[in-house]
Amino acid sequence: MSIDDGTTVANDRLAGREDMIVCVDVDKWYGDFQALKGITATIKEGEVAVVCGPSGSGKSTWIRCINRLEVHQGGNIVVDGIELSNDLRNIEKIRSEVGMVFQQFNLFPHLTVRDNITLAPIWVRKKPRAEAESLATELLEQMGIPEQAEKFPGQLSGGQQQRVAIARSLAMEPRVMLFDEPTSALDPEMIKEVLDVMKELARSGITMMVVTHEMGFAREVADRIIFMEGGEIVEVGTPEHFFTNPTEDRTKLFLSQIL
Amino acid sequence: MANSPPPSIHHDRPPLYRDVTVVKWVVQVIALLMVLGALWFLAEQAGDNLTASNVPTDYGFLSINPGIDLSSGIDTDPDTGGRALWVGMVNTLRMAAAGIVVATLFGVLVGLSRLSNNWLLRKLGSVYVESLRNVPLLVQILFYGAVFASLDRVTTDVGPINGWFHISNKGLSMPRVHIADGFYQWVVVLAIGLVFANFMRKRRNAQQDATGDETYPLLSAFGVVVFFAIVGWFIHPIFGFVGNIFDAAASAISALPENVLQLLIAALSITVSVYWIRSFLNSRRTPAGLARLTDDDYFRMIFAAVGGLLGALFFLVLWPGLSSWMINSGSDFFDVLGNKFGDGRTGRPIDVALPEIVQSGKFPNYGPSGLNFSIGFAAVFFGVVFYTAAFIAEIVRGGILAVPKGQTEAAAALGLRRSTALRRVIIPQAARVMLPPLGNQYLNLTKNTSLAIAVGYSDIVQVGQTVYNQTGKTLPVVSIWMFFYLSCSLSISVIVNFFNVRMRIVER
Amino acid sequence: MPELNPIVVEAGIGETGPPQQGVNLSVRQWLRTNLFSNWFNAILTLLGVFAALLMLRGVLNFTFSENREWDAVRTNLRALMTLSYPESQYVRVWVAVGFVMALAGMSAGIWANWGGVSVKRMSTWLMGSGGLFALCVLLREPSVILDSEGKVLRTVEGSLQRESVWAAMTDRLGWWIAAVVLITLGAAIWAWCSEPDRRNNSVAVTTVVFSGLGLLVLSLWLVPYGHYAFADGTYIAVPGRTVAFSTKMPWTVMWLLLFGLYFVGRSFRDTRWQGIVRGSSNFLWLISPMALFWVVLRDPALDYAHVLSTDLPMGLAFGVLGGVLLWALTRSDLGEAGRLTAVGLLGFAVFNWVAAFFGLYPMLQKARISFLLVALAALLAPNFIGEVAKRRQLILGWLSAMALVHYMATMMNTPSTVDIQSSEFLGGLGLTLFVAVIVVLLSFPLGVLLALGRTSKFPIFRMLSTSYIEIIRGVPLISVLIFFSVMVPLFLPDGMELAELAAVLTGYTLFSAAYLAENVRGGLQSVTKGQYEAADALGLTAAQRTGFIVLPQGLRVSIPQLVGQVISTFKETSLLAIIGLFDFLRVANSVIPAQSEFMGVKREGILLVAMIYFFFNFTISKYSQRLERRVGLGER
Repeated sequence: MSIDDGTTVANDRLAGREDMIVCVDVDKWYGDFQALKGITATIKEGEVAVVCGPSGSGKSTWIRCINRLEVHQGGNIVVDGIELSNDLRNIEKIRSEVGMVFQQFNLFPHLTVRDNITLAPIWVRKKPRAEAESLATELLEQMGIPEQAEKFPGQLSGGQQQRVAIARSLAMEPRVMLFDEPTSALDPEMIKEVLDVMKELARSGITMMVVTHEMGFAREVADRIIFMEGGEIVEVGTPEHFFTNPTEDRTKLFLSQIL
Repeated sequence: MANSPPPSIHHDRPPLYRDVTVVKWVVQVIALLMVLGALWFLAEQAGDNLTASNVPTDYGFLSINPGIDLSSGIDTDPDTGGRALWVGMVNTLRMAAAGIVVATLFGVLVGLSRLSNNWLLRKLGSVYVESLRNVPLLVQILFYGAVFASLDRVTTDVGPINGWFHISNKGLSMPRVHIADGFYQWVVVLAIGLVFANFMRKRRNAQQDATGDETYPLLSAFGVVVFFAIVGWFIHPIFGFVGNIFDAAASAISALPENVLQLLIAALSITVSVYWIRSFLNSRRTPAGLARLTDDDYFRMIFAAVGGLLGALFFLVLWPGLSSWMINSGSDFFDVLGNKFGDGRTGRPIDVALPEIVQSGKFPNYGPSGLNFSIGFAAVFFGVVFYTAAFIAEIVRGGILAVPKGQTEAAAALGLRRSTALRRVIIPQAARVMLPPLGNQYLNLTKNTSLAIAVGYSDIVQVGQTVYNQTGKTLPVVSIWMFFYLSCSLSISVIVNFFNVRMRIVER
Repeated sequence: MPELNPIVVEAGIGETGPPQQGVNLSVRQWLRTNLFSNWFNAILTLLGVFAALLMLRGVLNFTFSENREWDAVRTNLRALMTLSYPESQYVRVWVAVGFVMALAGMSAGIWANWGGVSVKRMSTWLMGSGGLFALCVLLREPSVILDSEGKVLRTVEGSLQRESVWAAMTDRLGWWIAAVVLITLGAAIWAWCSEPDRRNNSVAVTTVVFSGLGLLVLSLWLVPYGHYAFADGTYIAVPGRTVAFSTKMPWTVMWLLLFGLYFVGRSFRDTRWQGIVRGSSNFLWLISPMALFWVVLRDPALDYAHVLSTDLPMGLAFGVLGGVLLWALTRSDLGEAGRLTAVGLLGFAVFNWVAAFFGLYPMLQKARISFLLVALAALLAPNFIGEVAKRRQLILGWLSAMALVHYMATMMNTPSTVDIQSSEFLGGLGLTLFVAVIVVLLSFPLGVLLALGRTSKFPIFRMLSTSYIEIIRGVPLISVLIFFSVMVPLFLPDGMELAELAAVLTGYTLFSAAYLAENVRGGLQSVTKGQYEAADALGLTAAQRTGFIVLPQGLRVSIPQLVGQVISTFKETSLLAIIGLFDFLRVANSVIPAQSEFMGVKREGILLVAMIYFFFNFTISKYSQRLERRVGLGER
């Protein structure tokens, strides 16, 4: 494999942009199992990176390390110039700058959709309530579900819940959005509505890191595709490169199984 | 840009007050110190105040004659405070054991009746449960006590009672089945029988597995035990020699030097902690060497090591009397056991005596030959049994309802008979749900026997109260209570956990 | 247990479930499916009927036996309720009850949607109770014991008398009339709703409850219940003075308060005042036990010179200076300095007690507590950084907390003007309720903290909470209570009035908190890991995560267990009788039997106590089941 490709962006759009996420030799063990083996990669500002790979390849673990839901044990992670270390202040800062969308939505079932979205802006960003609420309304409109604001998450469909979850993360006005298999728990007919929202988001220029099996999405939106297996980055490249002539055998095998 | 090296990252340790690990452990250690400090502070002040107000806190009363009479128990006129409390403990345990058995039987019946498809039984069951569990146990006990106290007086005819049972405001008297001279020899025969029975059960099980025939392993094992019990009834005198073995053990223990035992205990304490740390490290070992330890792991090991050292220090320095106490009580135990096999003990293992009425003091009362239950006992017994049964009934009901309907259907689809399905499918699953709360109820029942204090049955709390009223040593008595009940709780949870683990294996 | 199998098999695990209710069966079909489905069931039914009749007869004979002295209970009703609270100040008791009634009415109006009872169910219920009345009258002793001439044997004033069955039955004419009226009423309603369009009619629960209570109150005016005679420690039967006589007026007022405030509360529903009214009624519920017990019932004799010179200035100083400090601490540009200040304050607050121990400098206990509260509020302050409205919220909360704490502390420290002989100025049911309510209120925060500690990822916190919980749960309540009744007085100044009660409350609270913690833990464990992760990913602090996400969800799940815990706590208050306080069980068990008129009369009083406990607990548990169903429905 070539680390070189991992840090190179073969895309004019991103040339000269700042580094947003920098990972150097990131290691992570669960007991005696090494989930991440020396991950090194750089994501540029405004880049849309899709991480794919077979299950158990460490892709979820990696992006969960980036906002410290998991603690990496070796190497360094720097997000927007802030190193993810034991420093409380850095952790707080990174968490408020990195939004995350989960596979299982993880909406707060006891709060209305509006409260789900305004909770963090009010209490973490210290915004006035009125401002937070108008932001919530705006975001819900952007997500195409303005009429659901007063409902509870349990009353929404899966696709609607996931869009609320995206709105909840966006309400923090993050610089980076992480998506951990956002469509895997959805019924097929709902996947599209979530992917549409994500495509729109990608066009808005926010930095995105997406773990997904949706290859159509990857081909259409991604600036780069990162293929992982066994806790390592196997191959990195633009969608054309990745789908048309992958260099690694493992990548070819994976693509033959999934496409 | 194309071939830029991996960005070098400038490390700077955050200041201590912002470091996650440091903050986490400093907060915890400060909290621990504050709790310990507060306890020490309270104990210190309590000690000062106790001395100032002349409240004694020593345990001297344990070996002094308290001069109290107990209403019932193995020794109603104990010669030391310790003996009195011991009698109380035995009474509590008796009450708890009897209560647990009867409450379980009764509770299961009520619980099943609440599931019956007979409308009347269901209603009666719920009336029982709702009315009993919504009234405090103490109120019930006091009520039973008041009812029993208003029963007829004992007649003045002294002598054996016509018939087997007698009820009056002194309580209930019935024939007593008691341990007689040959009992312990007989138990030896039974123990040998149990070994054989276990062997038999295993063989039959293996046979059943091999051939598929129904071999009734439990039934045959039970038969073996019965056989040995009957044979033992006649041949038990020849096992008198076992007593000599116990005597030898007693003298061997008393010959043990105190210092050696003390060192042994201290060493044991350290060994346990070392062993724990080693097995902990082993659990973190991987094919690629030791995995990275987190801060939690380090602190666990530190605490284990400190605990082991403190334990050793405690046994060596602070409580050197422990070893002599252990030696004495150990040799006493085997001595007593040896005496049970002593000369001339060749009578029947078990005997029966009929109740009688004797003139003790001014008023006639039941004599010691029958099995007597005072009204205190009866009130507490009925109280805890009926009360706990209401809760057990709910647990049984909940447990059976918790087995999904699909299980019964699946068993039926496999062609299992109803009884087989119940035995092999429904009850194991229901029992798994029922066991933990059932254990809790047994615990509650045991603790609830302490309400005997309200009707004057001599359980440990009532005896303890009498003792501290006489001697003024409230705190030592309370500490003994707590120690006793904590041991009971621990034993019950160990037993329940044991069955819990077995149930889980059954489930697999 | 093979012999039990038949029952289990019949018991409806699996395909034969308990028969479906609500399906319209004819009486014969109903009997067959529910009582006589096979020979085994038939035998069980017959046995059950026999046993039930026997038991009912036993209860009736016990209750209405000529040997029962219900006078003992009737005469001592006031002692059972409030022990010897002086008659001259009794209006205070009524004010307290009235306040609670008003609050209850208000809350019922503003909060719950009570639903309805179907008319059909009411009619079967009426007919059923009518039938039960008739059955009871028939079963009672004289009707059954007949001598050789077919006459009834009956004990009247100690001697056996003979009378006809007819005489025995007509003797209870009132009961017969009641039975007939009930059955007729039920049958009439049944007939009325047999028309298809009325079949599903229902009456609001509130209407049923209020009119039922109204009938009870009305009966006080019509029937002279009980002969009331207890006054200031003497027990003299005064002719014409009945329980009804002295309570009909107050109870009417209570009923009006309940009824009226219900409508007031309901008129606020779905208006913009709803939130405010709900909030303030919750707040009143929280403070009313303390305020009613220590201020209204206790009637403290305030020393105004001291109040003006010390208490008032101190409260003001803490309020104002603390408020200024908190205002400063909620500035957005403060950073870590705010937290460090708070930690420093906390250290100082703790040191105040250490200093007291070593006698370094004197300080009022009130001041020490206030300093601790300042420190805690300062720790909370960073959460309120932001817009002015939020900061103002914190300051207002602080000011009212200070006002409340200082007011209550002053009141509790002032001696009571209620002058009676026993150690507490209030006893009986009043004391029981007070202890139960206070223990529930105090043990709740402690229990939640312990549960959080036990589920925390910090090992030392976990260890501390676990050992506390397990030790407390391993020992009986009575030993804990006795321990604290020895220990607590050692830490209080000599001759302090509240020593005994304080000891009891400490013991109960610490005991109850351990059990409550276990219940809450169950709920906390049901909060999924994803919820924690989502909160972390949004950047919420640990305190915010706990307060906004984990606790609301965990507590909601554990509501049924928490209600169960409330019931246990209430039942445990009966132990007050053992440790020397005069709750109503003690009055029934020791005080009444010691009166010369009612020497040794115990069972009647204890039965009444049992009935009161049953009434409260049964109501609470039924309500909790209702709540559980509703919460379950809402969650989907």
